[in-house]
Amino acid sequence: MQKQKIQIWDLPIRLFHWLLVITIALSYLTIEIGGAWADWHARLGALALGLIVFRVLWGFFGNQQARFSQFFPTPSRLIQYFKGQWQGVGHSPLGGLAVFALLGLTGIVVVTGLFANDDITLFGPLYPLINQSLSDWMTGIHAIAFNALLIFIALHLLAIAFYWFVKKNNLIKPMLTGKKDLQISHQTAQPKTKPAYFFISIALALLIVWLTFGNVLTDLLATKPTAQVPSSQNQW
Amino acid sequence: MKKLGLFLTSVVLLNAGLSHAGPIEDQIKYRQSAYSFIGWNTNKIKVQLDKPETFSKEEVIAAANAIAAAANSGLGALYGPGTDQGEGWRKTRLKPDFFQKPDEAKKLATTFNLEANEFAKVAETGDPVQIKVKFGKLTQSCKACHDSFREKDPK
Repeated sequence: MQKQKIQIWDLPIRLFHWLLVITIALSYLTIEIGGAWADWHARLGALALGLIVFRVLWGFFGNQQARFSQFFPTPSRLIQYFKGQWQGVGHSPLGGLAVFALLGLTGIVVVTGLFANDDITLFGPLYPLINQSLSDWMTGIHAIAFNALLIFIALHLLAIAFYWFVKKNNLIKPMLTGKKDLQISHQTAQPKTKPAYFFISIALALLIVWLTFGNVLTDLLATKPTAQVPSSQNQW
Repeated sequence: MKKLGLFLTSVVLLNAGLSHAGPIEDQIKYRQSAYSFIGWNTNKIKVQLDKPETFSKEEVIAAANAIAAAANSGLGALYGPGTDQGEGWRKTRLKPDFFQKPDEAKKLATTFNLEANEFAKVAETGDPVQIKVKFGKLTQSCKACHDSFREKDPK
Protein backbone atom coordinates (compact mmCIF):
# COMPACT_ATOMS: atom_id res chain seq x y z
CA MET A 1 0.00 0.00 0.00
CA GLN A 2 1.22 3.44 -0.83
CA LYS A 3 1.39 6.33 1.53
CA GLN A 4 0.05 9.62 0.41
CA LYS A 5 -0.14 13.07 1.95
CA ILE A 6 -3.74 13.87 2.60
CA GLN A 7 -5.19 17.10 3.89
CA ILE A 8 -6.94 16.31 7.16
CA TRP A 9 -7.18 19.75 8.83
CA ASP A 10 -8.35 22.55 6.60
CA LEU A 11 -6.97 26.07 6.91
CA PRO A 12 -9.96 27.47 8.89
CA ILE A 13 -9.57 24.68 11.47
CA ARG A 14 -5.86 25.32 11.87
CA LEU A 15 -6.27 29.06 12.10
CA PHE A 16 -9.07 28.58 14.63
CA HIS A 17 -6.93 26.24 16.71
CA TRP A 18 -3.82 28.40 16.92
CA LEU A 19 -5.69 31.68 17.30
CA LEU A 20 -7.62 30.13 20.19
CA VAL A 21 -4.36 28.98 21.80
CA ILE A 22 -3.01 32.53 21.62
CA THR A 23 -6.31 34.04 22.77
CA ILE A 24 -6.58 31.77 25.82
CA ALA A 25 -2.96 32.40 26.82
CA LEU A 26 -3.24 36.18 26.46
CA SER A 27 -6.65 36.33 28.18
CA TYR A 28 -5.14 34.61 31.18
CA LEU A 29 -2.08 36.83 31.18
CA THR A 30 -3.95 40.12 30.81
CA ILE A 31 -6.44 39.45 33.61
CA GLU A 32 -3.66 38.26 35.92
CA ILE A 33 -1.74 41.49 35.41
CA GLY A 34 -4.91 43.57 35.62
CA GLY A 35 -4.86 47.36 35.66
CA ALA A 36 -4.85 48.82 32.15
CA TRP A 37 -4.45 45.31 30.69
CA ALA A 38 -7.99 44.41 31.83
CA ASP A 39 -9.27 46.25 28.72
CA TRP A 40 -7.35 43.77 26.59
CA HIS A 41 -8.94 40.88 28.46
CA ALA A 42 -12.32 42.14 27.19
CA ARG A 43 -11.04 42.59 23.62
CA LEU A 44 -9.64 39.07 23.66
CA GLY A 45 -13.06 37.94 24.91
CA ALA A 46 -14.59 39.38 21.73
CA LEU A 47 -12.06 37.45 19.65
CA ALA A 48 -12.74 34.25 21.60
CA LEU A 49 -16.49 34.65 21.09
CA GLY A 50 -16.01 35.08 17.34
CA LEU A 51 -13.73 32.05 17.18
CA ILE A 52 -16.11 29.81 19.11
CA VAL A 53 -19.17 30.83 17.10
CA PHE A 54 -17.23 30.24 13.90
CA ARG A 55 -16.06 26.80 15.06
CA VAL A 56 -19.58 25.70 15.97
CA LEU A 57 -20.86 26.76 12.53
CA TRP A 58 -17.86 25.12 10.87
CA GLY A 59 -18.81 21.94 12.74
CA PHE A 60 -21.93 21.83 10.60
CA PHE A 61 -20.85 23.45 7.35
CA GLY A 62 -17.09 22.88 7.23
CA ASN A 63 -14.98 20.27 5.49
CA GLN A 64 -15.40 16.64 6.42
CA GLN A 65 -12.95 16.37 9.34
CA ALA A 66 -14.30 19.58 10.85
CA ARG A 67 -17.88 18.33 11.09
CA PHE A 68 -19.24 17.26 14.44
CA SER A 69 -21.15 14.39 12.83
CA GLN A 70 -17.83 13.00 11.61
CA PHE A 71 -16.37 12.54 15.07
CA PHE A 72 -19.34 12.65 17.43
CA PRO A 73 -18.35 10.14 20.13
CA THR A 74 -21.31 7.77 20.06
CA PRO A 75 -21.08 4.77 22.44
CA SER A 76 -20.72 2.33 19.56
CA ARG A 77 -17.85 4.34 18.05
CA LEU A 78 -16.13 4.54 21.42
CA ILE A 79 -16.45 0.76 21.96
CA GLN A 80 -15.05 0.20 18.50
CA TYR A 81 -12.19 2.55 19.31
CA PHE A 82 -11.27 0.85 22.58
CA LYS A 83 -11.32 -2.54 20.86
CA GLY A 84 -8.73 -1.10 18.50
CA GLN A 85 -11.05 -1.46 15.53
CA TRP A 86 -11.51 2.20 14.72
CA GLN A 87 -10.02 3.19 11.38
CA GLY A 88 -10.71 6.64 10.22
CA VAL A 89 -9.23 9.95 9.28
CA GLY A 90 -9.40 12.96 11.56
CA HIS A 91 -10.48 12.90 15.18
CA SER A 92 -10.76 9.47 16.76
CA PRO A 93 -13.88 8.90 18.89
CA LEU A 94 -11.83 9.58 22.05
CA GLY A 95 -10.31 12.64 20.41
CA GLY A 96 -13.83 13.71 19.50
CA LEU A 97 -14.81 13.49 23.14
CA ALA A 98 -11.88 15.78 23.95
CA VAL A 99 -12.91 18.23 21.23
CA PHE A 100 -16.42 18.52 22.66
CA ALA A 101 -15.05 18.94 26.20
CA LEU A 102 -12.56 21.64 25.14
CA LEU A 103 -15.04 23.49 22.95
CA GLY A 104 -17.83 23.19 25.52
CA LEU A 105 -15.70 24.50 28.39
CA THR A 106 -14.31 27.33 26.27
CA GLY A 107 -17.88 28.17 25.31
CA ILE A 108 -18.95 28.31 28.96
CA VAL A 109 -15.97 30.52 29.82
CA VAL A 110 -16.74 32.88 26.94
CA VAL A 111 -20.48 33.13 27.56
CA THR A 112 -20.19 33.63 31.34
CA GLY A 113 -17.49 36.21 30.64
CA LEU A 114 -20.02 38.29 28.74
CA PHE A 115 -21.94 38.76 31.99
CA ALA A 116 -19.02 38.77 34.44
CA ASN A 117 -17.40 41.64 36.35
CA ASP A 118 -14.14 42.10 38.23
CA ASP A 119 -15.69 44.63 40.59
CA ILE A 120 -13.06 47.20 39.60
CA THR A 121 -13.38 48.53 36.04
CA LEU A 122 -14.11 45.45 33.96
CA PHE A 123 -17.71 44.60 33.16
CA GLY A 124 -18.79 42.12 30.48
CA PRO A 125 -20.69 43.65 27.54
CA LEU A 126 -23.95 41.98 28.63
CA TYR A 127 -23.56 42.93 32.31
CA PRO A 128 -26.31 45.60 32.02
CA LEU A 129 -28.84 42.87 31.21
CA ILE A 130 -28.61 41.19 34.62
CA ASN A 131 -28.23 42.20 38.27
CA GLN A 132 -24.97 42.26 40.18
CA SER A 133 -25.52 39.11 42.24
CA LEU A 134 -26.19 37.07 39.10
CA SER A 135 -23.13 38.66 37.49
CA ASP A 136 -21.04 37.70 40.54
CA TRP A 137 -22.31 34.14 40.18
CA MET A 138 -21.39 34.16 36.48
CA THR A 139 -17.94 35.44 37.43
CA GLY A 140 -17.53 32.45 39.75
CA ILE A 141 -18.55 30.02 36.98
CA HIS A 142 -16.22 31.87 34.58
CA ALA A 143 -13.29 31.09 36.90
CA ILE A 144 -14.31 27.48 37.68
CA ALA A 145 -14.90 26.65 34.01
CA PHE A 146 -11.53 28.17 33.13
CA ASN A 147 -9.78 25.96 35.70
CA ALA A 148 -11.60 22.93 34.29
CA LEU A 149 -10.50 24.03 30.82
CA LEU A 150 -6.87 24.15 32.00
CA ILE A 151 -7.19 20.55 33.21
CA PHE A 152 -8.51 19.45 29.81
CA ILE A 153 -5.76 21.38 28.03
CA ALA A 154 -3.25 19.50 30.20
CA LEU A 155 -4.88 16.17 29.20
CA HIS A 156 -4.82 17.30 25.57
CA LEU A 157 -1.07 17.96 25.82
CA LEU A 158 -0.45 14.67 27.64
CA ALA A 159 -2.29 12.81 24.88
CA ILE A 160 -0.14 14.54 22.27
CA ALA A 161 3.00 13.59 24.23
CA PHE A 162 1.76 10.00 24.49
CA TYR A 163 1.25 9.82 20.73
CA TRP A 164 4.63 11.41 20.15
CA PHE A 165 6.75 9.24 22.44
CA VAL A 166 4.81 5.96 22.66
CA LYS A 167 2.95 5.66 19.39
CA LYS A 168 5.63 7.56 17.42
CA ASN A 169 2.93 9.64 15.83
CA ASN A 170 3.48 13.39 15.48
CA LEU A 171 0.13 15.12 15.89
CA ILE A 172 1.50 18.66 15.99
CA LYS A 173 2.82 18.81 12.44
CA PRO A 174 -0.55 18.05 10.79
CA MET A 175 -2.10 20.82 12.91
CA LEU A 176 0.48 23.19 11.36
CA THR A 177 0.59 21.95 7.77
CA GLY A 178 -2.83 20.34 7.61
CA LYS A 179 -1.37 17.25 5.93
CA LYS A 180 -0.77 13.74 7.14
CA ASP A 181 0.80 10.63 5.59
CA LEU A 182 -1.94 8.07 5.23
CA GLN A 183 -2.47 4.72 3.56
CA ILE A 184 -4.47 5.55 0.51
CA SER A 185 -6.45 2.31 0.59
CA HIS A 186 -9.44 3.67 2.40
CA GLN A 187 -9.22 7.25 1.42
CA THR A 188 -10.08 8.72 -1.91
CA ALA A 189 -10.62 12.31 -2.89
CA GLN A 190 -12.09 14.36 -0.06
CA PRO A 191 -15.31 16.21 -0.76
CA LYS A 192 -14.83 19.92 -0.16
CA THR A 193 -17.40 22.18 1.40
CA LYS A 194 -18.72 25.16 -0.55
CA PRO A 195 -16.64 28.35 -0.17
CA ALA A 196 -19.86 30.25 0.45
CA TYR A 197 -20.32 28.29 3.69
CA PHE A 198 -17.02 29.66 4.93
CA PHE A 199 -18.02 33.26 4.29
CA ILE A 200 -21.46 32.75 5.81
CA SER A 201 -19.87 31.26 8.96
CA ILE A 202 -17.43 34.16 9.25
CA ALA A 203 -20.21 36.70 8.69
CA LEU A 204 -22.43 35.13 11.34
CA ALA A 205 -19.55 35.01 13.83
CA LEU A 206 -18.85 38.71 13.22
CA LEU A 207 -22.55 39.48 13.57
CA ILE A 208 -22.73 37.79 16.99
CA VAL A 209 -19.62 39.66 18.16
CA TRP A 210 -21.08 42.95 16.96
CA LEU A 211 -24.44 42.30 18.65
CA THR A 212 -22.77 41.63 22.02
CA PHE A 213 -19.68 43.83 22.09
CA GLY A 214 -21.21 46.61 19.99
CA ASN A 215 -23.82 47.13 22.75
CA VAL A 216 -26.59 46.34 20.26
CA LEU A 217 -28.19 43.61 22.38
CA THR A 218 -27.99 45.64 25.57
CA ASP A 219 -29.63 48.63 23.88
CA LEU A 220 -32.41 46.40 22.57
CA LEU A 221 -33.01 44.26 25.64
CA ALA A 222 -32.03 46.25 28.70
CA THR A 223 -35.02 46.88 30.93
CA LYS A 224 -33.17 49.43 33.01
CA PRO A 225 -31.33 52.46 31.63
CA THR A 226 -27.85 51.43 30.53
CA ALA A 227 -26.12 54.76 31.10
CA GLN A 228 -23.34 53.06 33.04
CA VAL A 229 -21.90 55.37 35.64
CA PRO A 230 -23.85 58.18 37.25
CA SER A 231 -21.61 61.20 36.90
CA SER A 232 -21.72 64.53 38.69
CA GLN A 233 -23.52 66.63 36.10
CA ASN A 234 -25.40 68.20 38.98
CA GLN A 235 -23.85 71.18 40.73
CA TRP A 236 -23.76 69.43 44.05
CA MET B 1 -13.40 30.18 86.34
CA LYS B 2 -10.05 31.89 86.69
CA LYS B 3 -9.16 30.93 83.16
CA LEU B 4 -12.43 32.29 81.82
CA GLY B 5 -11.88 35.54 83.68
CA LEU B 6 -8.41 35.88 82.25
CA PHE B 7 -9.73 35.15 78.78
CA LEU B 8 -12.49 37.74 79.06
CA THR B 9 -10.07 40.35 80.40
CA SER B 10 -7.68 39.73 77.55
CA VAL B 11 -10.51 39.99 75.01
CA VAL B 12 -11.61 43.30 76.50
CA LEU B 13 -8.04 44.61 76.58
CA LEU B 14 -7.36 43.47 73.05
CA ASN B 15 -10.42 45.22 71.70
CA ALA B 16 -9.73 48.37 73.70
CA GLY B 17 -6.15 48.47 72.44
CA LEU B 18 -7.10 48.27 68.78
CA SER B 19 -9.84 50.93 68.71
CA HIS B 20 -11.95 49.52 65.93
CA ALA B 21 -15.12 51.22 64.85
CA GLY B 22 -17.90 49.58 66.83
CA PRO B 23 -19.72 46.30 66.37
CA ILE B 24 -18.66 43.89 63.67
CA GLU B 25 -21.73 44.55 61.49
CA ASP B 26 -21.01 48.29 61.57
CA GLN B 27 -17.39 47.82 60.57
CA ILE B 28 -18.42 45.63 57.64
CA LYS B 29 -21.12 48.10 56.61
CA TYR B 30 -18.77 51.09 56.62
CA ARG B 31 -16.23 49.04 54.76
CA GLN B 32 -18.63 47.95 52.04
CA SER B 33 -19.96 51.48 51.71
CA ALA B 34 -16.45 52.90 51.39
CA TYR B 35 -15.38 50.48 48.66
CA SER B 36 -18.65 50.88 46.82
CA PHE B 37 -18.10 54.66 46.86
CA ILE B 38 -14.53 54.15 45.68
CA GLY B 39 -15.85 51.86 42.93
CA TRP B 40 -18.28 54.50 41.71
CA ASN B 41 -15.53 57.10 41.48
CA THR B 42 -13.15 54.64 39.84
CA ASN B 43 -15.66 53.99 37.07
CA LYS B 44 -16.34 57.70 36.61
CA ILE B 45 -12.66 58.02 35.75
CA LYS B 46 -12.80 54.96 33.49
CA VAL B 47 -15.65 56.55 31.50
CA GLN B 48 -13.51 59.68 30.98
CA LEU B 49 -10.48 57.67 29.87
CA ASP B 50 -12.55 55.55 27.48
CA LYS B 51 -13.89 58.62 25.68
CA PRO B 52 -10.90 60.89 24.97
CA GLU B 53 -13.02 63.19 22.78
CA THR B 54 -15.14 64.26 25.76
CA PHE B 55 -12.44 63.94 28.43
CA SER B 56 -13.27 66.10 31.43
CA LYS B 57 -10.33 67.02 33.61
CA GLU B 58 -12.64 68.30 36.36
CA GLU B 59 -14.59 65.07 36.54
CA VAL B 60 -11.35 63.08 36.91
CA ILE B 61 -9.95 65.41 39.59
CA ALA B 62 -13.18 65.29 41.60
CA ALA B 63 -13.30 61.49 41.44
CA ALA B 64 -9.58 61.17 42.22
CA ASN B 65 -9.92 63.38 45.29
CA ALA B 66 -12.92 61.36 46.45
CA ILE B 67 -10.93 58.12 46.16
CA ALA B 68 -7.94 59.63 47.96
CA ALA B 69 -10.19 60.95 50.72
CA ALA B 70 -11.75 57.53 51.23
CA ALA B 71 -8.33 55.90 51.19
CA ASN B 72 -7.00 58.40 53.75
CA SER B 73 -9.98 58.03 56.06
CA GLY B 74 -8.36 55.24 58.05
CA LEU B 75 -10.08 52.23 56.56
CA GLY B 76 -7.85 50.00 58.70
CA ALA B 77 -10.12 50.77 61.64
CA LEU B 78 -12.83 48.74 59.88
CA TYR B 79 -10.85 45.51 59.92
CA GLY B 80 -11.27 44.49 63.55
CA PRO B 81 -10.80 40.89 64.67
CA GLY B 82 -13.71 38.67 63.66
CA THR B 83 -14.79 40.85 60.75
CA ASP B 84 -14.00 38.07 58.29
CA GLN B 85 -17.35 36.66 59.36
CA GLY B 86 -20.60 38.51 59.44
CA GLU B 87 -23.00 40.58 57.50
CA GLY B 88 -22.96 44.28 56.67
CA TRP B 89 -25.10 45.29 53.69
CA ARG B 90 -24.39 41.74 52.63
CA LYS B 91 -22.09 38.93 53.78
CA THR B 92 -18.46 39.97 53.89
CA ARG B 93 -16.04 38.38 51.46
CA LEU B 94 -12.95 39.07 53.59
CA LYS B 95 -10.79 35.96 53.89
CA PRO B 96 -9.58 34.80 57.33
CA ASP B 97 -6.11 34.95 55.73
CA PHE B 98 -6.27 38.69 56.21
CA PHE B 99 -5.67 38.20 59.95
CA GLN B 100 -3.13 35.43 59.50
CA LYS B 101 -0.90 37.50 57.22
CA PRO B 102 -1.01 40.96 58.79
CA ASP B 103 2.23 42.08 57.14
CA GLU B 104 0.99 41.33 53.65
CA ALA B 105 -2.38 42.92 54.45
CA LYS B 106 -0.66 46.07 55.66
CA LYS B 107 1.56 46.20 52.61
CA LEU B 108 -1.38 45.91 50.20
CA ALA B 109 -3.42 48.46 52.14
CA THR B 110 -0.64 51.02 52.20
CA THR B 111 0.09 50.44 48.51
CA PHE B 112 -3.52 51.30 47.74
CA ASN B 113 -3.29 54.45 49.87
CA LEU B 114 -0.06 55.45 48.17
CA GLU B 115 -1.47 54.90 44.67
CA ALA B 116 -4.69 56.76 45.53
CA ASN B 117 -2.70 59.81 46.67
CA GLU B 118 -0.30 59.60 43.73
CA PHE B 119 -3.25 59.38 41.38
CA ALA B 120 -4.88 62.47 42.87
CA LYS B 121 -1.66 64.36 42.14
CA VAL B 122 -1.44 63.14 38.54
CA ALA B 123 -5.14 63.91 37.97
CA GLU B 124 -4.31 67.60 38.51
CA THR B 125 -2.08 67.57 35.40
CA GLY B 126 -5.13 66.82 33.23
CA ASP B 127 -2.92 64.77 30.90
CA PRO B 128 -4.92 61.69 29.81
CA VAL B 129 -1.78 59.71 28.95
CA GLN B 130 -0.17 60.11 32.37
CA ILE B 131 -3.52 59.67 34.07
CA LYS B 132 -4.16 56.42 32.23
CA VAL B 133 -0.83 54.94 33.33
CA LYS B 134 -1.37 55.87 36.98
CA PHE B 135 -4.97 54.72 36.82
CA GLY B 136 -3.70 51.29 35.79
CA LYS B 137 -1.44 51.26 38.85
CA LEU B 138 -4.32 52.29 41.08
CA THR B 139 -6.69 49.57 39.85
CA GLN B 140 -3.89 47.04 40.10
CA SER B 141 -3.58 47.90 43.79
CA CYS B 142 -7.32 47.16 44.16
CA LYS B 143 -6.87 43.85 42.40
CA ALA B 144 -3.83 42.83 44.45
CA CYS B 145 -5.90 42.92 47.63
CA HIS B 146 -8.93 41.26 46.02
CA ASP B 147 -6.69 38.42 44.82
CA SER B 148 -5.12 37.86 48.22
CA PHE B 149 -7.83 38.60 50.72
CA ARG B 150 -11.22 38.50 49.09
CA GLU B 151 -13.30 35.37 48.45
CA LYS B 152 -13.76 34.83 44.73
CA ASP B 153 -17.41 33.91 45.08
CA PRO B 154 -19.84 35.93 47.14
CA LYS B 155 -20.74 33.87 50.22
